[in-house]
Amino acid sequence: MMRMQNPRIDVSVATNYCRAGEPRIWVHGLFLAVVIASLMLSAVLAHGQAADAPSVAANEALQAQVQLVVGGQSIKNNSKGTLSVVDSSLQLEANGKKISVEASSILDISTDKDSRQDVTGTAHLAAQAIPYGGSRVLSLFSHEIDILTVEFRDGNNAYHGAVFAMPKGKAATFKKQLVALGAKTTVPLAGQEPDKK
Amino acid sequence: MKHISRTMNSIGFPIVFSLVLLFMVGELTGQQSSGESKGPQKFSASSIQIEAPDPGNVPLPPEFRVAVYENLVLQIEKTGKFQHVYRSGDKDAANVPDLVTLRTTARAFTEGSQKKREVTTVMGATSLTVNVRITDHAGQSIVDRDIKGKVLMMGENIGATYDFSKKVAKIIRETF
Repeated sequence: MMRMQNPRIDVSVATNYCRAGEPRIWVHGLFLAVVIASLMLSAVLAHGQAADAPSVAANEALQAQVQLVVGGQSIKNNSKGTLSVVDSSLQLEANGKKISVEASSILDISTDKDSRQDVTGTAHLAAQAIPYGGSRVLSLFSHEIDILTVEFRDGNNAYHGAVFAMPKGKAATFKKQLVALGAKTTVPLAGQEPDKK
Repeated sequence: MKHISRTMNSIGFPIVFSLVLLFMVGELTGQQSSGESKGPQKFSASSIQIEAPDPGNVPLPPEFRVAVYENLVLQIEKTGKFQHVYRSGDKDAANVPDLVTLRTTARAFTEGSQKKREVTTVMGATSLTVNVRITDHAGQSIVDRDIKGKVLMMGENIGATYDFSKKVAKIIRETF
């Protein structure tokens, strides 16, 4: 009798175990789906905000929220700040510091396009924890940006360069205005003659 | 049994002792030989001037050219090997008697894709090869090497210029 009952108990336990495992897998899957969906949503929202920024700024004086990629002297690389054209100079304000470059001292000014990922910083690091290479999906979400490169000489004739990343469509506006103020360029805008360095 | 263990002791001890002795001698001679061939000749200079990068025949985008230059200035300043790091054209550099000059010429450039790198992990690498030449005040060459900077996995394309400048800084530390 006992021999007959034991297998029944074993079977039920095994079945229960399997059934108990299913919700766990579902919970894990659901959790991952929620994490990925929230990261994607935040990426899309961030992109939306970034895309809105140029249209707001376009109504004001020539000004843009930029990221200093390299060459800010006293301002650290990768700082975010405001780039503007004030009087006859290009000004960057970031982290409470300000640098200014006279348009006439600019040797060359050029624009280019690049792309930046929507999920960056802490969120990007956190996404690395997603198993099965799930974080790679987030790398697919990116938006186009403009790159503005400025080469100039300071009062001591020393050569400097600075690279700015800014919302799409803004770099050409900066270049046009600075060239009008006396900056030189080797790659002219449409309808302009190239300058020699 | 006692006899066997005594024999083992009498044979084993000299063997172990001689092995230890050989190891110590080997270590000492190794240190001496490494001391003799230690590093290349060291140069000294109070100041360095970094000239603007020459793109050569390579279609190096302006932002990469500028990033190469600015990262070089930053990394060479960080080495602390020079009292002054002068930029190209700086008037003050003209009066320095033991000034050394660093010139860079682009040799090769491949612009990859951050997206490809991070999605595939094997494609989309960005790399640039730049010739680095350091000369003394008389024009004698101190360093003349091709250095490669690259981004293989994480990070933006322009990170290749940072990798390059870190490698140049290492050469500066070894040379000065």
